[in-house]
Amino acid sequence: MVSLKKKSQQNNDGLKIIIVGCGKVGSTLVSRLCEEGHDITVIDRDREVVSDMCETYDVLGIVGNGSSYKVQMDAGIESANLLIAVTDSDELNILCCTLAKKVGNCSTVARVRNPDYSDELLYLREKLGLSITLNPELETANEIARLLKFPSALSINAFARGQVEMITFKIPDDNMICGMHLYELQQQFPFQVLICAVERDGVLTIPNGSFILQAGDVVSYVSTVKNAHSFFKKLGLKTHRVSDAFIVGGGKTSYYLAKQLIEMGIQVKIVERDIKRCEELSLLLDKAMIICGDGSDEKLLAREGFFEAESFIPLTGMDEENILLTLHAKRSPNTKVITKVNRITFNKVIDSLELGSVVYPKYITAETIIAYVRAKKNSIGSNVETLYHIFGDRAEAIEFKIQGGSPVVGIPLKDLRLKKNLLIACITRGGKVIIPGGNDTIEVGDRVVIVTMESGFKDVADVLNEG
Amino acid sequence: MNRKAILYILGWVLNIDGAFMILPFLVSLLYQEEQGWSFLIVAAICIAAGTLLVLKKPKNMVIYEKEGFVIVAFSWILFSLFGCLPFVINGDIPDFTNALFETVSGFTTTGASILTNIEVLSHASLFWRSFSNWIGGMGVLVFLLAVMPMKGGGSQIHIMRAESPGPIVDRLVPKIKNTASILYIMYIVLTVIEFIMLVAGGMSAFEAICASFSTAGTGGFAIKNDSFMSYSPYIQWVVAVFMMLFGINFGAYFLLTIRRFKEAFRYEEARGYIFIILAATAIIAWRLIPQGMGIEETLRHSFFQVSSIITTTGFVTANFDLWPQAAKVILVLLMFIGACAGSTGGGIKVSRVMILAKTVKKEIMIYIHPNSVKKIKMEGKQVSHETLRATNVFFITYILIFVASVFLLSFEDHSLETSFTAVVATFNNIGPGLAEVGPVGNFSGFTNFSKYVMIFDMLAGRLELYPILMIFHMGMWKSAIVPPIKRRMVLRRK
Repeated sequence: MVSLKKKSQQNNDGLKIIIVGCGKVGSTLVSRLCEEGHDITVIDRDREVVSDMCETYDVLGIVGNGSSYKVQMDAGIESANLLIAVTDSDELNILCCTLAKKVGNCSTVARVRNPDYSDELLYLREKLGLSITLNPELETANEIARLLKFPSALSINAFARGQVEMITFKIPDDNMICGMHLYELQQQFPFQVLICAVERDGVLTIPNGSFILQAGDVVSYVSTVKNAHSFFKKLGLKTHRVSDAFIVGGGKTSYYLAKQLIEMGIQVKIVERDIKRCEELSLLLDKAMIICGDGSDEKLLAREGFFEAESFIPLTGMDEENILLTLHAKRSPNTKVITKVNRITFNKVIDSLELGSVVYPKYITAETIIAYVRAKKNSIGSNVETLYHIFGDRAEAIEFKIQGGSPVVGIPLKDLRLKKNLLIACITRGGKVIIPGGNDTIEVGDRVVIVTMESGFKDVADVLNEG
Repeated sequence: MNRKAILYILGWVLNIDGAFMILPFLVSLLYQEEQGWSFLIVAAICIAAGTLLVLKKPKNMVIYEKEGFVIVAFSWILFSLFGCLPFVINGDIPDFTNALFETVSGFTTTGASILTNIEVLSHASLFWRSFSNWIGGMGVLVFLLAVMPMKGGGSQIHIMRAESPGPIVDRLVPKIKNTASILYIMYIVLTVIEFIMLVAGGMSAFEAICASFSTAGTGGFAIKNDSFMSYSPYIQWVVAVFMMLFGINFGAYFLLTIRRFKEAFRYEEARGYIFIILAATAIIAWRLIPQGMGIEETLRHSFFQVSSIITTTGFVTANFDLWPQAAKVILVLLMFIGACAGSTGGGIKVSRVMILAKTVKKEIMIYIHPNSVKKIKMEGKQVSHETLRATNVFFITYILIFVASVFLLSFEDHSLETSFTAVVATFNNIGPGLAEVGPVGNFSGFTNFSKYVMIFDMLAGRLELYPILMIFHMGMWKSAIVPPIKRRMVLRRK
């Protein structure tokens, strides 16, 4: 405890952060940012929600309208470093941020998810001085689209502006790499892929060369996009993208997803219950087929060719319905199923169901913000560019941008005293991707991806074992 | 029914008719022709009658759909009746029915003629024929809206809707007067450009003016018996391209002038229209290969005829009646499709055809996927239920009138090809059909009765059916003829 306190003093105290709106995303952010040791004030209109937050986390709660001047002053906007507006209403969020920008001098983050604005976000950000605009629905759709491009993967995380991908997949029975040592794998695929985490029977390890792969292992590897495909091909796994997608539920995520899939030339079918929303969707998405009906109606699904679909994505607002539909779809082995889970509770149950690819919209949002906050807190030495929680919550994959003065620069990796359960997975230098060996070094300007089972890395120097 | 406003506007229509007729008179002065005086006489009558009607400006100028339809229908009838008188008086077309047919054919931009020899007409009459094409193309009342200061708020949009072709007619800019002015300015500019290009190709100024007027209105009155067959390839190309241009929605040109190029080129209807032209030209050119013309000539004739027919102009450079069957059938199909909405062309209009095609596609999909939801879009926007219904009803009405007209013409014992294409050519405001009414034939072989049927078809086709049909609706007459006070008394007595 003492050492932890000392450390936090070294890094100055936590940032002063105001979070407006305590919905799903808001409360996830509170919990995550609390863990990182920041001073958090939450604002919400609902008294009960606020008192619940105050009781669960060590935060200050204010009941009121976050876009009112008085409430923002009460929350201490003048001394705040960051305001995050994640209420239901895009307009309210933008107003909150605009006001905060004028009153205090803080960075602002707004959730803007209405498709009406999504095309002009860059302009909005620039004109209104927003640091980040969050669109969890769009991010979720992006992630699902990535998976549909590469259906054998369980999850795909992109680094270095999409040049590098971290791909997680499950080793099928009787695959050629079963029983192989990792160093043998390295010899077969030199400098192409790097296995950075393996989960076996619920236990996560960051493996070394002597680790032996087994069927049923869930493996994460880092590689360039091109090599990722050829690696899969050599393992005899499917690499071509799906040709059609069956989506249940016609929310914003479905819209964003369908739009992307149609651009990629994938046929899209959306089942939505509300006739009005169906009509809207049919106007927005010319080429998609919109079916009005209950997505949990087995007959309807069968009639619309549910079992012939190459991919199935339940995106209703109900986790239970999504999971049930996924289990139903699992009966057809060739269908790629991706499940969206909104609430994170019952993690263990979800894991035990073996749903395959699962996306958590709230995590996606929180990851963006945490990466931003960590980067903001420590902008000397290195910057956190992107951050992903992998294997549920048990490991983090972080991308740093290295700046001058960092203690890791110029030293061969084998000579760095790295922490345990940590791996330097990838270095991107001037557009070139390096899967590092022991003799490689980190240079100023590089983007470095590390995988760690510890949390709270703010600087690349945190990889060094200080004790 | 706002009768005072209707009469007032009709008065202005007469004034404008009179003013326009002074132009052929001036032409006749230039060529020292006696026939010109008839135009001045009729102009005087028009202006006298018109002035009487506009003497007292009504206080209430607010009009509704009903009034819009009545104004448009009567304006066109008045215009045609007065417009044909000079032909009768100066003896160029002594028979009244023939003169009326010729004039209606002019104003409705049909270009069908009852004349066997055009070249003997006076310059004044030739000019008036072509000029009637031009003024009928963009519309008499659109011109009136552009030049006449009118009160009555936005209610004049009803006049514009009733006169301008297309399923959806709306303003380009907030003010109707400015919208109408912009339309006419673009129209005049395009006409002038064509005139200059034709003169540059060696046409005489008079011929170039008449040709430009007829092309701009997509009318098709030529001043030579053989239409455009004897002109140089350059002139044929220029006219062909300009016919195509005048068949495009003027909204697209407006977007070009305000520098919104992307949107202008994204016009779905214009794209469909150009696609149809290219495809039709290609197929016809392919079918013409055995005729042994050169590549350029084959392409020129195919493109000219396609452009002329789809825009419902009706100029010809070749006697397509002698062409292979497939080429003829394609041309007849193009006659039905017509040009873009909001252009000067006639026919069903590309946008309606596209909406109908999309409706069919949607219905087929609903058979396969009964629960599917599909909204029909045009130009990136939803087509409202009302527009869809109006388009469907338009199509049904169109077919009904078409069938009835063919039936009425059938009593004359012409071949089916003749009666069928005579109706196609007049109802869609094209001009030449096939067989007896083909490119080298004319409409003089019909009886007066059939001519009146076709006069009705031409007017109904140009005004898109409803204004003309409205005249036959009894309720309309009741409210128009019985003065309001009297009607109230009748009600009280009951």
